[in-house]
Amino acid sequence: MNSTDIQIALCGSAGDGTIAAGDILRNAVAALGYRVICFDVYPPEIRGFGKCISRVRITTEQTYALKRQSDLLISLDDSHAIPHAGEVRTDGAIIYESKPVGHCPEGSHMSSHILPGQIPYGIPLRELAEKATGGARSRNLVVLGVIAGLLGFSPVPFQKIIEKKFAKQGPAVVSRNQAGFQSGYDVGVNTFKLDNVFCVPQESNPAAGKVVMLSGNAAVVQGCMDAELDTFFGYPITPATTIMERLATAMPKRGRRLLQTEDEISAIAATIGAGYTGARSATATSGPGLALMAEMLGLATMAEIPCVIFVSQRGGPSTGMPTKTEQSDLNAALYGSPGDSQRIVIAPTNVEGCYRCAGKAFEMSEQYQTPVIVLLDLYLSNRYETVTLTESGPPFTLNANKPLRRLEAGESYQRYAFTEDGVSPRAVPGDSGCMHVVTGLEHNTLGRPNDSEEIHTAMSRKRHDKLLAALHHPDFTVTKRIGHSGRIKVGILAWGSTFGECLEAMFMAHAEGISCASMKVVMLSPFPVEAVTQFMDDCDQVLVPEVNYEGQFAQLLQGILARPVVRLSRVPGSPMPVELILSEIRRLAGVV
Amino acid sequence: MVAQVSSSASAPHRYVIIGNGVAGNQAAEGLRDRDPQGQITIITNSRMLFYNRYLLPELFREHKDWRALLAHPAEHYEKRRIRVLRDCWVTSVDSRKRQVMLAHNEAISYDTLLVATGGRPYLPEELAECRRLIHPFGSYENALAVRKALPENGSVVMLGGDMIGLDLARTLLERNFRVVLVTHENSFWPHQPVGDERTKFLAILEKMGIEVVDGEAQGGVVAIEKGASGLPDRRVRFRQGGDIYGDIVMSFYGLQPLVEFMMGSGTDIERGLLVGTNLRTSDPHIYAAGDVCQIWSEKDNVYRFYYGHRNVRAMGAVAALNMTGGNEHFSTTQDEALFQNEQGHIDSPFWAYD
Ligand SMILES: Cc1cc2nc3c(=O)[nH]c(=O)nc-3n(C[C@H](O)[C@H](O)[C@H](O)COP(=O)(O)OP(=O)(O)OC[C@H]3O[C@@H](n4cnc5c(N)ncnc54)[C@H](O)[C@@H]3O)c2cc1C
Repeated sequence: MNSTDIQIALCGSAGDGTIAAGDILRNAVAALGYRVICFDVYPPEIRGFGKCISRVRITTEQTYALKRQSDLLISLDDSHAIPHAGEVRTDGAIIYESKPVGHCPEGSHMSSHILPGQIPYGIPLRELAEKATGGARSRNLVVLGVIAGLLGFSPVPFQKIIEKKFAKQGPAVVSRNQAGFQSGYDVGVNTFKLDNVFCVPQESNPAAGKVVMLSGNAAVVQGCMDAELDTFFGYPITPATTIMERLATAMPKRGRRLLQTEDEISAIAATIGAGYTGARSATATSGPGLALMAEMLGLATMAEIPCVIFVSQRGGPSTGMPTKTEQSDLNAALYGSPGDSQRIVIAPTNVEGCYRCAGKAFEMSEQYQTPVIVLLDLYLSNRYETVTLTESGPPFTLNANKPLRRLEAGESYQRYAFTEDGVSPRAVPGDSGCMHVVTGLEHNTLGRPNDSEEIHTAMSRKRHDKLLAALHHPDFTVTKRIGHSGRIKVGILAWGSTFGECLEAMFMAHAEGISCASMKVVMLSPFPVEAVTQFMDDCDQVLVPEVNYEGQFAQLLQGILARPVVRLSRVPGSPMPVELILSEIRRLAGVV
Repeated sequence: MVAQVSSSASAPHRYVIIGNGVAGNQAAEGLRDRDPQGQITIITNSRMLFYNRYLLPELFREHKDWRALLAHPAEHYEKRRIRVLRDCWVTSVDSRKRQVMLAHNEAISYDTLLVATGGRPYLPEELAECRRLIHPFGSYENALAVRKALPENGSVVMLGGDMIGLDLARTLLERNFRVVLVTHENSFWPHQPVGDERTKFLAILEKMGIEVVDGEAQGGVVAIEKGASGLPDRRVRFRQGGDIYGDIVMSFYGLQPLVEFMMGSGTDIERGLLVGTNLRTSDPHIYAAGDVCQIWSEKDNVYRFYYGHRNVRAMGAVAALNMTGGNEHFSTTQDEALFQNEQGHIDSPFWAYD
């Protein structure tokens, strides 16, 4: 055995510090040089007793999704963790509280639910925490220590991260938490290991470049900062809120502006207004917020004003399922405005993609003078991955505006002049001699209202055609095929976060000898007809897995390409199970 | 064959077994055969499923993963619908409420209870303080720790040397370790050879390669210490002033029944849980089997312990029959005497395993 692939699920109640423990764990193992993918699930209630789960997959090789089965389950609250006991694989282990306070009704303790093939580690977490720290609050750190000791992780990065995390609360809190961790570590190291969850020590990360641990939303923020975002306007909404929260810390430090507006309509209006003035500007929201922004987005399309909208999808419609993931805002992102409101829609498939798409969105928005929607979802926004950033600086163009031509004497500035590539040189307020009208009304090249058939047709074509160049935008992956080349039995076409699960399923299918390949479609509008058609030409069958009920991406494909695809549309509120995709691949390949 | 069904479909009978050893598991199998609907729960403080402790000396011949020692694969328990609560300590039994109390404050209800908690190694009081310098040998984990602590060709000082210890000694000698046996009245436990017979068996041990030190003549062991540097890691001091050294010290003075948690249950206890030949305790809902129980012997007119694999298994089977309405009686089929085998080595029915 020379590689590591283990998944740890920490489960507790809101207030147990489950997510915080997951955070320390992922950062510590990333510092140890492992690759990490993590996803936290927490309750819709801000505070209370809902279930929190933090799943952390730790690997030596690059992986693309969480595993269906965990190797270790940690219970900080049996009432929540018991339903997940079956999630642990055979010979995997369950760590739980062996000395709970008060009476345990029969059947309510984890020990009754551990399957014969799983290994129980009952540990007196509370007692250890109390002895080490004088209180039970650091049970989550005790359990981290147990994990580190049991799996043979060095305690050093854990201790450092604990120090950093609690530094603001003073040295007493830091040393209390470190003592809690250490007491668990001592127990873990001395626990006789019966499970077969093994970790190969990692010397250093072999990947070139700077390796950082980021969530999808954190990567968006990093992309925004590296692309030198000037202004941000937003209104909080799960799961997009942390984009604004992080920017609120990062932007002022660089002299940039962020404003929390009174609602999403103001946020998009302000974003477009700032874009109009030439500032790089963005907002972030989720499905319900996007609905409120629909009218204003039409204005940005019509007035050809750059602006970037990050949309992190959650279960819908309406308030829907705020803390559950879904990919059901594709139609709203593509079509959700009155009129032929063309726009660019891109959807990253992993955390690194969030970074790239965020930075590139500003370039595209400026270059094609149009709104760009970056479609994320809760799974991607909240999922953490180790990301390798290039050492040579941000890969983004910081000014992608078409240069203004010097006006001839007496020449009027035509803001919407017809040009070969459909993009008119854009002046911003203050550019000498470039006074012009900007309106939501259909207009002529000067920007003056005009609703003649001729102008409306020409302007509609201009707004449509100029976007096609985005399909060849430099250094941007519009589509990517991975897997077997040439003719294949099963092709998987996917978008957004589900692509990771598709890759995992595809590699499993390869191991079973099934010929298959996957294509991710990152640019959803304009649609990469040629690349997708070529891919479909190679496939006997095309499978389209997506986390929505209507099969919105499949509909898009069929609408544009008029070709049959096999839909795999599910709304579990969680990522598409890898096994489900795999079983569909097997079925389509005729392997039972 | 399903001879008796105690459970009705609506309310399955709840059988709880404390102890995951030979007796407990034999009983669980018997209960499942006789009551297909019954709810069977085994409670054990061990983290492992039932494994064969008799085979632990084998670990000195070749390393085996603990899974290789398991009596049944994990699926067996699922297939037979036998629930095993592991890593759970029973702290008491409330016979009035018919509940088994666990250390984590959970009460498990039963209709019929079987106590099969076996015994723990007995350690004479005077050695209690030296406990941390003695390597135990009751579990897989212990056996691996001993293996790790023993240097190649190293030496083991065996205090007492019951039949569990002597079984290990045989293997250690085979693997070129040195074994020094410090005798005690419980050497040969559960057998009790006396006088000439005892002398004969000690001589056989010496012939087998075991160095025998007459512990009684030395006035018994008074202390175990860490050896000074340059010497083996342990020093055993005798009351008469002498001492011996070894890399590790192990104690084998026989087993002591694990009954403390039954103290408040109202059942009759002497050294073990007292049962009739039907293995029922003084409480009609509580049975006992294996090393934990003392069974009434009509012949001897006393409550007796019966050791050895065959006895313990037979007890498990009888308990299962009677817990499901049968009326069976335990009687031993196992020979009790120590003997010299064809190779001239010491041998015992205690070591017979089938
Ligand atoms: C290393 C070793 C070698 C042996 N070799 C032989 C041999 O060769 N021949 C032979 O005849 N015998 C041998 N024995 C003894 C033999 O193991 C016992 O006689 C026999 O196993 C007794 O079976 P039992 O079911 O009564 O108890 P055990 O097998 O001792 O099982 C008792 C069970 O009860 C559990 N338990 C105890 N207290 C509690 C509690 N409070 N809460 C929860 N669970 C509890 C224990 O964890 C264990 O699972 C050996 C023992 C050992 C340790």
